[in-house]
Amino acid sequence: MKKADLITGCVLLAFSGFVIWESLRMPPSATFGPGPGFLPFWMGVIVAGLAAILFLTAWSRKMDPKAPPVFPGRKALTAVGLALLGLLLYTVLMEPLGFLANTVLFVAFLMAVVQREGFKLTAAVALLTTSGLYIIFHLLLGITLPRSPFGF
Amino acid sequence: MGFHVASSWQNLFFCFIGTLFGTLIGVLPGIGPTTGVAILIPITFGMNPTTAIITMAGVYYGAMYGGSTTSILLNVPGESSSVMTTLDGYQMARKGRPGPALGMAALSSFIAGTFAVLMLTLIAPVLANYAVSFGPPEYFALTFMGLTMVTSLGGDAPLKGIISAALGILVACVGIDAQSGVGRFTFDNLYLLDGVGFIGMAVGLFAVSEVLINIEEPMQRIFTETKLNIRSLFPNLQDWKDSFGALWRGSIIGFFVGVLPGAGAVIASFMAYAVEKRCSRHPELFGTGVIEGVAAPEGANNAAAGGALVPLLTLGIPGSGTTAVLMGALLIHGMRPGPLLFSAHPDFVWGLIASMYIGNVMLIIQNMPMVGLWVRLLKIPYKILMPLIIAISAVGVFATDGNIFDMWVMVFFGFLGYLMRKLDYPAAPMVLALVLGPMMEMALRQSLTLSYGSPTVFFNRPISGVLMVFALLSLFAPLLRLLWNRYKVGGKAAI
Repeated sequence: MKKADLITGCVLLAFSGFVIWESLRMPPSATFGPGPGFLPFWMGVIVAGLAAILFLTAWSRKMDPKAPPVFPGRKALTAVGLALLGLLLYTVLMEPLGFLANTVLFVAFLMAVVQREGFKLTAAVALLTTSGLYIIFHLLLGITLPRSPFGF
Repeated sequence: MGFHVASSWQNLFFCFIGTLFGTLIGVLPGIGPTTGVAILIPITFGMNPTTAIITMAGVYYGAMYGGSTTSILLNVPGESSSVMTTLDGYQMARKGRPGPALGMAALSSFIAGTFAVLMLTLIAPVLANYAVSFGPPEYFALTFMGLTMVTSLGGDAPLKGIISAALGILVACVGIDAQSGVGRFTFDNLYLLDGVGFIGMAVGLFAVSEVLINIEEPMQRIFTETKLNIRSLFPNLQDWKDSFGALWRGSIIGFFVGVLPGAGAVIASFMAYAVEKRCSRHPELFGTGVIEGVAAPEGANNAAAGGALVPLLTLGIPGSGTTAVLMGALLIHGMRPGPLLFSAHPDFVWGLIASMYIGNVMLIIQNMPMVGLWVRLLKIPYKILMPLIIAISAVGVFATDGNIFDMWVMVFFGFLGYLMRKLDYPAAPMVLALVLGPMMEMALRQSLTLSYGSPTVFFNRPISGVLMVFALLSLFAPLLRLLWNRYKVGGKAAI
């Protein structure tokens, strides 16, 4: 965790620098009270201070050889990465592909690629999930779900 | 008189439909009680006002309970007031005790809700004065205290809890500033003008990150031990003994926080959980699945719902989003909420109060049998549940506003939530900061405007002074305790 904390400390420091810079560019207040940049500026300062504390306490800590690694091994990380990628694609493709096709593909992707299940289970879960969601959200609740250019 | 009005067959029937509909709505992530009540308004046009209000109260309670259900079973907070329930409720489910968790959520909601209704009937006018005495400094002190109390939940690393809350406040600053009209951190993005939506962040930080963590190692089922006999489905005697104090504290905190306009179920649930942890004999067990961690916030959020009716009925001020919708409904039906409501339409007002009580009862009757059903749901192998959870979360988030941008927010916070879990940063302070941030900032700026820039305004006034002292103590207590331990033991405890 020591290395992770050091890195996080630096990232947070850089981020707070950005926040402070942005908040200084905001217009001053139009009334006697604080303007729009007041809270972001001070929060930026606070986060910078906290990041410094985090960094310094991590620096002065001894590395613990018995501590478990922060991130899991390659196989687990690949699975997580694939799932995130799938979710990202799902969001990107929602409007172009429409709800039905997109959800079927997404659930199938999660079952087959991330979890490596067989074809029958993948197909069954994908179709049931999509139809179930369609029924609940569109038919029962009347919410408009995106349609594909093909009409479905 | 109110009970007589409220218990006609027609009203009971509609209340039942209301709670059923409300529970289904609440179970879906994204759609919450406010939306549920709003959906029902046109449908209730044809009903007489009392029946309409009773139905809407049913929906409201149903939705709150539905939100708790998904919090406990899937770590998906149905809406902001269920976030605290995920901390211990989901852990209890993981350990094979989803039934008692669900049961205690329902029962504590019922008990606290009843308590709130009683308080409402007995002391509503007196409370009106108390509600009005809260000005901007008091609101700032209250929200600041809520935030600092929750950051102290950061386990062995309070610093990370504070960082999480501070980042949450920054996220809350994104969007058009309400007091100056200036766009902050919007980067010329149209959607960011509205700020970062709560639902995308909460579902991402809690549900999506949970799924990602579980994907690392293929998991068989959400919980491994499965006892399905009747006795294990409900809280046992030990549970009741443990939760007794929690229920009292949660109800009282919830009711009095709910009375304040603007402060509602969310703050109440967070504060009740933090107070419970403080008062407990085993605070380190909170977050691993203790029943008090479910009883306190669940009781508080229902008591707050009852408390929120006080400003609505006595002063005509809606205390929360849902009561605002309720007020709109009242106006549509020709009633003006305010001091005269009690004298002008007494049967309606008492009918409303009684309807809340009946809503609570209906909830228990409806949901206790369903606990078995929900528990059975959890026995589905995780490999099938996982895509289901992600898909429902994603679609639910999209359905809230019909906006793809909310899904982007969910994906981003899902990724961030995964990192935060790995690095030991608690998610609850960030979410609370997002919810409380706008109110806190507005109160801060109004207070400083009132006092021409002097920060002593927070300490000069009695109520806000007391709250600020509590807040600062909460904030610095872990640090002081740490320094004290180091001084005594000379060890290297982690900051």
